[in-house]
Amino acid sequence: MERKISYEVYAIAFVLSAFTFLIGIFLGGLTTNSNFSGISTELSNVSSRVDSLKVLLLFDGNSSSFCPLYISELSDLNSEIERVGYKLTYIEDVKQAQDIELKKKYFLLEAESYLLSQKAKNFCSDKSILLINFYSNKACESCKQQGSDILRVRDELHNQNISLKLFSFDGDLGSSVADAFAREYGVNSYPSVVINGKTYSGPIAPDRLGSLVRSAYYENRSSGNS
Amino acid sequence: MEISLVLTYLTTFFSLFVLYVFLVTFFKYWKSYYSDPPASKSYPYISIVIPAYNEGLYLRECLESILAVDYPKEKLEIIVVDDGSTDNTYEIAKSFSTLGVIALTKPNGGGKKASPLNFGLKFAKGEFIATMDADSYLTKNTITEMLKLFSDPDVMAVSPAVKIRPSNCFIKEIQRIEYLMILFSRRILSFMDSVPVTPGPFSMFRTKVFSIVGNFDEKNLVEDQEIALRIQSHNFKIKSSVTAEVYTEPPSKMGDLVTQRVRWQRGGMRNYWRYSSMIKPSYGDFGMYFIPLNFLSIIAFFTILSLTLYSFVSTPYYLKYIWLDSLGLGVGTFTFIWAFLFIVGTFFTYLSIKSFDDEKVKLRYILSFLFVYWYLMVCYNLLWLFKELKREPTSW
Repeated sequence: MERKISYEVYAIAFVLSAFTFLIGIFLGGLTTNSNFSGISTELSNVSSRVDSLKVLLLFDGNSSSFCPLYISELSDLNSEIERVGYKLTYIEDVKQAQDIELKKKYFLLEAESYLLSQKAKNFCSDKSILLINFYSNKACESCKQQGSDILRVRDELHNQNISLKLFSFDGDLGSSVADAFAREYGVNSYPSVVINGKTYSGPIAPDRLGSLVRSAYYENRSSGNS
Repeated sequence: MEISLVLTYLTTFFSLFVLYVFLVTFFKYWKSYYSDPPASKSYPYISIVIPAYNEGLYLRECLESILAVDYPKEKLEIIVVDDGSTDNTYEIAKSFSTLGVIALTKPNGGGKKASPLNFGLKFAKGEFIATMDADSYLTKNTITEMLKLFSDPDVMAVSPAVKIRPSNCFIKEIQRIEYLMILFSRRILSFMDSVPVTPGPFSMFRTKVFSIVGNFDEKNLVEDQEIALRIQSHNFKIKSSVTAEVYTEPPSKMGDLVTQRVRWQRGGMRNYWRYSSMIKPSYGDFGMYFIPLNFLSIIAFFTILSLTLYSFVSTPYYLKYIWLDSLGLGVGTFTFIWAFLFIVGTFFTYLSIKSFDDEKVKLRYILSFLFVYWYLMVCYNLLWLFKELKREPTSW
């Protein structure tokens, strides 16, 4: 028998598959935009809360009545900012989509939250340890691992009643705030962590990370007691 | 772009493309789907060869179903080849000798079905030879419906509509849906001259084809597929009927089903590999679409399985803080493409069942099929791979 190849069938099937993909990509794009606009609204709300905290700082009151309120508000704010950060990372991981302006805005809020946390340590003797994680989204295999390790260590320390506040900056994004922080702490490679102002470059094993945070915590406590 | 993302795109596109090829072909030949050539007025002499090993439970009903078909009995030759059974198979076959059934017996040939089949072929005198499993049953018009497709002289073999009788057994019902989908696909492949199997339960051959391509391969795990591939390699046609019904007994236990599928998969892939030289334009759709499709499907299957496992292993730690939000945030391009793939796949399943007016399947079985079948495939494909990598000897 004479055999044939059904070119027209394959062509139609190919066009249909490509069309299905295009619809998927189009709808996916719409949802990503809507995700970003939702996060943008969240960031605006967080920004208003940061402003309120700044106002609290201007309030020249008695530290015993001011500090508990300030620390508790700040703690909520930190968690909120952190959650927004995870959402942005998740969208990046799953959808390979990035809104650079939104991320810069997020880093700005993180920087403000970090500075406000430092104030809490100075004025209110807050014992929380501040950790800045500098990472890069470009060709840094160990950065992701470092990020997860830090979270695991934080959860472990939380069980020992040691509070670790986390701030993360993508050093390769071109954010002026992230760059300023990197310069301030002498960070020039990724990953790097800054624990209570001290910089550690390169990947750190979880055990060592835990002991670094613990020693910073006890150092803090003893200096607070003296 | 990450390699896992590229692989996800490729396998999803491939799956969609394959489904669309079947659907587009179906709609292209929509009008011919149910209309076979008119029945011939003559009644050619037909030999039915039934290899049987310990089939005492089913053989009687099988023979009774043949004797009840609408075809002149003097034009039918029924040959039962007992392959050294240890039960009463031979006695049952003998008890039908007054009704014209020829009962033969031979020592067991090592367990593969091709040996008693070839033994029976030596005695068959028909212009057409049908091979039949002893646990399968014909309906009144099976033979006449199949003969219609032999009106084209290039057609050397015809496969029937092998079905499973409705039951309340979950495993059987899942297979019933699967069989309907296979039938639907095979009929579509028939329009592409790409039917890859002449099913063991019942298939009919123009006798002269055996003298051209040879008899069944006695070393093969799935001799009914190998003979079909051999016929295709000689550029003869194999057609698939949707009206010539044959009912067969499927495995009713999960263990038996998996064993059967591992055998099909092992034998099947080995046969496709053996005939991979047919991947060239001169073999038309069969060479350029169907044979590559089998290899690509296996690659796609293991890619999807690996990607699924990888996604579990690589779940980032931070996700536990936003897992509820991630459900919404995760909805994106792939969610929509997979949703479309699922819709097209479900539509294909629906069409497969709907194309057989008299087949009613409960919705809960259809839904179960869509979910359970994947896990069944995982099970037998992994076992298949394991056995092949271990180079385990093949057995029936």
